[in-house]
Amino acid sequence: MFRKKDPAMAARIPPGQHLTRGWPVLSASPIPPFDPATWRFRCSGLCNGAEWTWDEFRALPQTSITSDIHCVTAWSKLDNAWDGVLFSEVAKRAGIKPEATHALVKAPYDYDANLPIDALMDDDVLFAWNHDGEPLEPKHGGPLRLVVPKRYFWKSTKWANEIEFLDHDQRGFWEVRGYHNDAFPWEEQRYSWQE
Amino acid sequence: MATDPAAVWKLVQRADELVKYAQNRDPHTAYAQARAVLDEAEALAGQLDQKAADGLRAQIETRRSDIARFEAAV
Repeated sequence: MFRKKDPAMAARIPPGQHLTRGWPVLSASPIPPFDPATWRFRCSGLCNGAEWTWDEFRALPQTSITSDIHCVTAWSKLDNAWDGVLFSEVAKRAGIKPEATHALVKAPYDYDANLPIDALMDDDVLFAWNHDGEPLEPKHGGPLRLVVPKRYFWKSTKWANEIEFLDHDQRGFWEVRGYHNDAFPWEEQRYSWQE
Repeated sequence: MATDPAAVWKLVQRADELVKYAQNRDPHTAYAQARAVLDEAEALAGQLDQKAADGLRAQIETRRSDIARFEAAV
């Protein structure tokens, strides 16, 4: 499952992480059911409000990004090719208001993860429906997951179905449970006691 | 020797990992193991001073509620 790091790869692996070739399956909750006929993606809070069906969401402008995954449980997976729509595109179409400074990206079973809007608007942050050219598997967050490459992977909400725009920071599921609010892998920000 | 809060937190993390990997195997077994680890963490937290123990107990209770919720959905 693991391979030796060559120098070029080693330079891409944050402290305390090891490289994995596979893709371990982790989730706090069970895998939620997906029905494309009833699935909806909603934007709420400080925006004009928006709602898309699965077909409508898939028709949003597609982008392709390759990025690395760093999980707080200490594995990293490099060179993941994602297809999806940029967070910034979704926010723009939802009519995000200037006073929005943070957002919670939500999923079933009351899962959510919080980030500043500035971080979410980065040009490498997207809602992905494909991974390495194939539809994202349910166990990895399919049909749709957020991908935020610069943070530990719990910030990349699996089964994403809502953005709530806020004018303040509000800790998400793991952030309330003792994990770091910022979660930068290169600073090894794993736990809230480090804040 | 006094108990280190970090030792309790390590057990809480262990329970988190059992929950996070539960979908890879029999979830009910994984949840039962996580609950057992949380029981162990709570017992250890009882040896801490009250302030540290209260914070960790709250984290343990939150996780017990999570597990009950997830288990009902499996």
